[in-house]
Amino acid sequence: MENILLKDKVASLEGYFAAGGYRALKKALAMKPADVTAEVKASGLRGRGGAGFPAGLKWSFIPKDAQGPRYLVCNADEGEPGTFKDRELLLRNPHALIEGMVIAGWAIGAQTGYIYIRGEFAAEARLLERELFAARAKGFVGRNVLGSGFDFELFVHRGAGAYICGEETALLESLEGFKGQPRLKPPFPAVKGLFGAPTVINNVETLAAVPAIIDKGGAWYASMGTPKSAGTKLFCVSGPVNKPGVYELPLGVPFRELLEKHCGGMKEGKKLKAVLPGGSSTPVLTAAEAMAVALDYEALAAAGSMLGSGAVIIIDESQCMVKLLQVLARFYHHESCGQCTPCREGCGWIEKLLNRLEAGKGSGRDIDTLYSAADAMLGRTICPLADAMAMPAMSFVKKFRGEFEAHAAGKCCGPDGGAR
Amino acid sequence: MPRITIDGRPIEVEKGVTLLEAAQRLGVHIPRYCYHPKLSVSGNCRMCLVEIEKAPKLVTACSTEAADGMAVLTMSEKVKTARRDVLEFLLINHPLDCPVCDQAGECGLQDYYMEHSLAKSRFPAEDKVRRQKRRVLGPHLVLDNERCILCTRCVRFCSEVTRTSELEVMERADHSFIDLKEGRALDNGYSLNIADICPVGAWTSRDFRFKQRVWFLKKTPTVCLGCATGCLTEVHHNENTIYRVVPRPNAETNTWLCDAGRMTYKAVQAGDRLAKGVIKNGLIDLEPALRETASRIDEAHGALAVLGSPWLSVEDNAALARLAKDALKTADFSFDFSAEQGVKDGILINKDPAPNAAGARRVQAAFGGTSFAELSAKVASGAVKVLVTEARAAALLKDALKAGGARLIVFAANRSEIPAGAYATLPYASYFETPGTFINFQGLERRTQPAVTAAEGVKPLWAMVNKLAVYSGTSLRLESAQDALKGIDLK
Ligand SMILES: Cc1cc2nc3c(=O)[nH]c(=O)nc-3n(C[C@H](O)[C@H](O)[C@H](O)COP(=O)(O)O)c2cc1C
Ligand code: SF4
Ligand code: SF4
Ligand code: SF4
Ligand code: FES
Repeated sequence: MENILLKDKVASLEGYFAAGGYRALKKALAMKPADVTAEVKASGLRGRGGAGFPAGLKWSFIPKDAQGPRYLVCNADEGEPGTFKDRELLLRNPHALIEGMVIAGWAIGAQTGYIYIRGEFAAEARLLERELFAARAKGFVGRNVLGSGFDFELFVHRGAGAYICGEETALLESLEGFKGQPRLKPPFPAVKGLFGAPTVINNVETLAAVPAIIDKGGAWYASMGTPKSAGTKLFCVSGPVNKPGVYELPLGVPFRELLEKHCGGMKEGKKLKAVLPGGSSTPVLTAAEAMAVALDYEALAAAGSMLGSGAVIIIDESQCMVKLLQVLARFYHHESCGQCTPCREGCGWIEKLLNRLEAGKGSGRDIDTLYSAADAMLGRTICPLADAMAMPAMSFVKKFRGEFEAHAAGKCCGPDGGAR
Repeated sequence: MPRITIDGRPIEVEKGVTLLEAAQRLGVHIPRYCYHPKLSVSGNCRMCLVEIEKAPKLVTACSTEAADGMAVLTMSEKVKTARRDVLEFLLINHPLDCPVCDQAGECGLQDYYMEHSLAKSRFPAEDKVRRQKRRVLGPHLVLDNERCILCTRCVRFCSEVTRTSELEVMERADHSFIDLKEGRALDNGYSLNIADICPVGAWTSRDFRFKQRVWFLKKTPTVCLGCATGCLTEVHHNENTIYRVVPRPNAETNTWLCDAGRMTYKAVQAGDRLAKGVIKNGLIDLEPALRETASRIDEAHGALAVLGSPWLSVEDNAALARLAKDALKTADFSFDFSAEQGVKDGILINKDPAPNAAGARRVQAAFGGTSFAELSAKVASGAVKVLVTEARAAALLKDALKAGGARLIVFAANRSEIPAGAYATLPYASYFETPGTFINFQGLERRTQPAVTAAEGVKPLWAMVNKLAVYSGTSLRLESAQDALKGIDLK
């Protein structure tokens, strides 16, 4: 199978164009917007930002009769620990995103698009600006795109460094110039989004898949992957494997194949203990569970976890699960926007419990409290950040309780079982 | 119109009505912190979670609109657990301040904890997040960030009601805290409402702080006389001392109160409160003061005028009208109706600082008299030898009095009100001490109810007038406030 997203020699406009780039845009502009959306629906493309919501369906939620401006926003905030696929995609294939956005803009009737890019990605933002300039010069972006009469202006907006601004409505707040805090939903952005206008927000990888879908057809895209998880996905693998990195593979690829064939297996002397299959926010899988699972939305859900952003975090036997969860808790505690009671108070509580346990000062009761505090956060907040803390926490305790108990007993869980 | 059931009870509501509001109509109280009927919905406290049958997750009742067929459960096990959990989260970083906290006794945390939780703490006190305490922010308020539960009511009040936006939430996560924006002060004229709507003891009134435990307070519903808006209020008092005034929210006039209106009670128990008469500058007992006043009236041989006052109740103005007509036998009785009325700031405060111009009109309609211009001209010409009025109303004739040199006899509650040059001053009971009828700028009848009793001998103004008439040789036969209202059409 040929890669759709991660390709060589397409980083520049010339290279991209030579490889057939912007052909899809021309084709799309000759289609009715509703037909473009229908094609994306037919492709089965699902959101690659974490939630896996069908992209074409999301586009169709823009009210048909909405007056006034509409917006398209690309979520390039990529801040989740272990996730580094959008950045790679931006560096290697920026025009797939730009073309995808112009097509999406046409489909939903937006004349303005924003790429909200993580603040730390300064070089990537510069690169995007440069490539946008080139695309604008060629008439792919801006006024009267390719002579079609369709105006579409695209802006790069740099975030200011908060993970929560990756949540789509916090992103909108931030884009509007306010403190990045998720909004209550409903109303959903498709109805009331940026500046109160109908807005579609998609991940970089989602939008970058659009040109190929329009070019080769939804059915072609749907023929890859599994029936419900169509197409290819970027997997960013980190941890003690021989070849960590970003891999584009059809959805449904067995984890075992990703690990052994593409990543060259575990590093010498390292034994697989656990996997966070979809980024730091997803429930952990044991080695046995991981080795039996396929990487697609349904299979991972059936295994009790999630595909998430496609960030596959490999954990080996030498790593301490308590320490690891403590690192995650520190992150979520730091990043909770603080609006909702359970998340604001719960993230900090969980970190404190883990600090105590990790230091060998905790008790068995602290483990139970940790689990129930996480449980009390689950599904009760404005955005899923609280769940993103709670789910790994509960799964770590459930599946690796022995390690937590060892800590409570004053020992480290490491292979040496050494006293702390 | 959506039909739903709440705990099995059917109700039909208009489109857009939330589950919390629908439940309220059935008398079901869903616990809430961030929700306030007059502020935007922020949905952050998560206290109002309820279950909708067949829905996977609990929803916030404050933000979820009723949709046809919803079966809402407000007391299911899931809901009860969620409430307990949210309370536990709210309390883990909450300081153990109740014994010294002014909110104790009317605190949202205490109340819901008793009702919905009673769980033991699982959080070590030494792990609590510490925040700033006792921050004096503005002339009326103190903020204790440790007690704050970050419901953002105060922030929304300042951005949505006063539109001054002084407050914001700084930082993130459990280090979030309410703060004043740089270079701002919290002095928007309505700031004390913040202490009322803060569900905990984070914002406290500098005036009320530490004065009284709330469970000792008695509550008297009455009316603010700070301006023509005539907000409904509740006076909180104990052992004949007033401690604070809070709003009595109503659909017609007010949800809030202005800071100035809340402070009007101060005059009642101020050090310059009059319990005796004043002749020139000397305090003298009431009876000699009345006698002295009556003889000056006698001396004037009918060259008398009486000016009613929009600061006085209908009863008291009626008494003054009768004094003019029946005792002093002068037609020179009038009011000044030149003040414009209407809310001037888009919130509450009225252009007319006097509470009862509309009531005064009713008195004029019943008793007649001259126009203010005529009265004023007569006073200025020197044809009036003695003018009887209320202290603040006297200012309306300041120039005329100076020009004509009439002796000024005023009724005043506080010494500071007495206009320069007044010859005699007679005290009267304030409307925190005596009932009175007022008509606000909307034409709505408002009655004050006494919360405290006046000092020995200090009577309502109508009763003082009655006495003065007796000293001048006529009986007005005013035995009660009711008598004073006779013949007046309040409509
Ligand atoms: C705390 C949090 C952080 C998120 N961060 C990102 C992110 O960095 N990039 C992203 O595309 N989506 C992120 N999401 C998901 C977005 O809210 C949203 O679902 C997504 O951008 C929609 O695009 P998609 O449908 O194309 O996936 C985040 C969600 C949460 C709750
Ligand atoms: S869940 Fe956490 S991050 Fe999300 S809105 Fe609530 S407090 Fe903010
Ligand atoms: S100070 Fe009071 S009103 Fe303001 S956010 Fe805190 S608890 Fe709410
Ligand atoms: S607006 Fe007028 S009536 Fe209302 S509280 Fe203020 S002074 Fe009193
Ligand atoms: S009252 Fe509904 S979330 Fe606060």
